[in-house]
Amino acid sequence: MANDQAVAELESFLAERADQLMRTAVLLTGSREAGQDLLQTGLERLLRHWPGLTGDPEAYLRRTLYNLAADGYRRRSRLQRKLLLLRAGTPPPADTLACVDLRDALVRLLVQLPPRQRAVLVLRYWEQLTEAETAAVLGWPEGTVKSAASRGLRRLRGLADSWHQAELHETGLRGPGR
Amino acid sequence: MSTDVEELLHEGMERFTTGVHAPAGLAATAGRLRRRRRTTRAVMACGTAAATAAAVVVALAATGGTAAPAGGSTAQAHTVAYVVSRVKNALATENLVYHGITTGTDGPSATWAYGQRWRWEEFTGAGCRNVTSTGECTHRGGSVRYLATGTAQVGGKLTGAYVTYYNREYSLSPITAPLPTSACSRTARLEMGGPVATPGDHWSDFINATLACGAARVTGHVWINGTATIQITGKPITVRLPPGEARAVREKWTRVGWTLYVDPATYLPVRITGTGTTFGGPAASTFGSMVTNVQWLKPTAANKAKALVRIPPGFHRVSSAANQ
Repeated sequence: MANDQAVAELESFLAERADQLMRTAVLLTGSREAGQDLLQTGLERLLRHWPGLTGDPEAYLRRTLYNLAADGYRRRSRLQRKLLLLRAGTPPPADTLACVDLRDALVRLLVQLPPRQRAVLVLRYWEQLTEAETAAVLGWPEGTVKSAASRGLRRLRGLADSWHQAELHETGLRGPGR
Repeated sequence: MSTDVEELLHEGMERFTTGVHAPAGLAATAGRLRRRRRTTRAVMACGTAAATAAAVVVALAATGGTAAPAGGSTAQAHTVAYVVSRVKNALATENLVYHGITTGTDGPSATWAYGQRWRWEEFTGAGCRNVTSTGECTHRGGSVRYLATGTAQVGGKLTGAYVTYYNREYSLSPITAPLPTSACSRTARLEMGGPVATPGDHWSDFINATLACGAARVTGHVWINGTATIQITGKPITVRLPPGEARAVREKWTRVGWTLYVDPATYLPVRITGTGTTFGGPAASTFGSMVTNVQWLKPTAANKAKALVRIPPGFHRVSSAANQ
C-alpha cells in the first residue's frame, strides 16, 4: 500500500520531468533502449528510498543516473569490445565524414567514450554544470573530473580537426603552406 | 577551437535527443518491479519450496504467462515448481568455488568466484581478436593474457581491480556486483548473451528472479556428463545497437540469446551458452557464440585464492578502468 502511494507521488513528479530525464539517460547510454533501462533502474532506486527521502528527488535521481552510467563501464565494455572485435581492422566507410553533420559526429563519438568521461561531458556541456558542481554530483575529486573532461574533449577535438581537414580538402582549398 | 567544440557538442546533444520522450507508465513499472523483487526476497527468506514455487507461478501469471508455452501451462507450472523446489538445496550447498572456462568466437576466458570474490581473465585468440577502445589491436596471434578484472585483496581489504596486461596497467575501485540480480532488463539479457556471464554468488536468486519476471523459461532436460540437467532458456531479444557500436560493426541490430544448464541436485549451472548476431547494416551479418563449462570446487584456501585478482609487480596504477 505504501508502495502504491509512492508510485502515485512518483507519477506526478515524472509528469513534469520525465522527458528531460529521459533525454539525459539517452545521452549517457547512447540509445533510447539503453536510456530507458537506465532511467527505469534509477526510478526503482528512487522508489526504494522515496519514503525517507529528504530534499529534491530530481537531484537524487540525476545523481543516481550519472553514477549508474559511470559505474557501468565493465559491464558495457564487454559487449562493446565484443562488437568492436567483430570488425577489428575494417576501415570506416569512405563517406562517413561527408554524410553527417559535425555536431552529430561529435555526439556519436561522445557515446563511444568510456562511461566516466561521457558522464562528465554530459554534466558539463548538457547540464552546463561547473567542474565543482560536476564533482559534487559524481562524488569525485575535482581533479578527476578535470582530467576526465580533458581526455574526452581531446578526442572530440581530434574529430573536429579531421572534419575541418576533410572539408578543406573537399572544397579544393589548402592551408597556408600550399 | 575548444569553445567551438563545446558549443557544437551541446548543439549535437540537443539534436540527438530531440523528439525523445519518456514512455508512459515508468513509475508503475518501477513499482511493479520493486514489489516483485520484495515478494521474491520474502519467499526466499521463508525457504519453503512449495511457497517459492507458488510465488514464481503467481509471478509468471502476473507477467502475462510469458513463460508458459501455448497449451502447456499446467505442465510448465509443474516444471517451474520442480526447478524452484531445488532452491533450498542450492542455498545450502553454495559454499563452493565457481570455475568456468569459456570458449567461443572471442578469445578464451576463465572465471573464478567465491562469495564476494571473483576473477575474470580474458586471453587473446588467433589474429587480432582484442582491440582497444580506439580500435587498435592489442596483440596479434597466439593466446596471451589480455585482462583480468574482479576483486583483489589490498591492504587486507577486498576491492575492485582491473588489470590490462598489454599496457601493464591496473586500477582499483569500490567493489561492484558482478552479476545483475536477474536477467529481467534488456541490459542484463544482453550481457547474458555476451562473451561471458560473470557468476554471482547467488545463482538460485538469479534464476528464481529471472524465471519470475518471464525473462527465461524451463525448456527441458539435457544430458551433460551423465547428468540430466535442467535447461533454462532466456527469451531472445533484439535491440538496436547504440550508435557507437553500430558504427564499429556497421550493423544496426543485435539479437542475443542464452541458455543455462542446471544440475538438478544442486541447482547450480554446469554449462552456460550465449549467442549474439548483428544485422541490418551494410556489413555482412556476424554471429558470435560462447560456451562456458562450469566446475564447482571445494572451498580450500588454494581454490579461494584463485578467486582474487593479483596485481603483477611493476604494473603502473592508473586512476580508473575508464582510463585503461
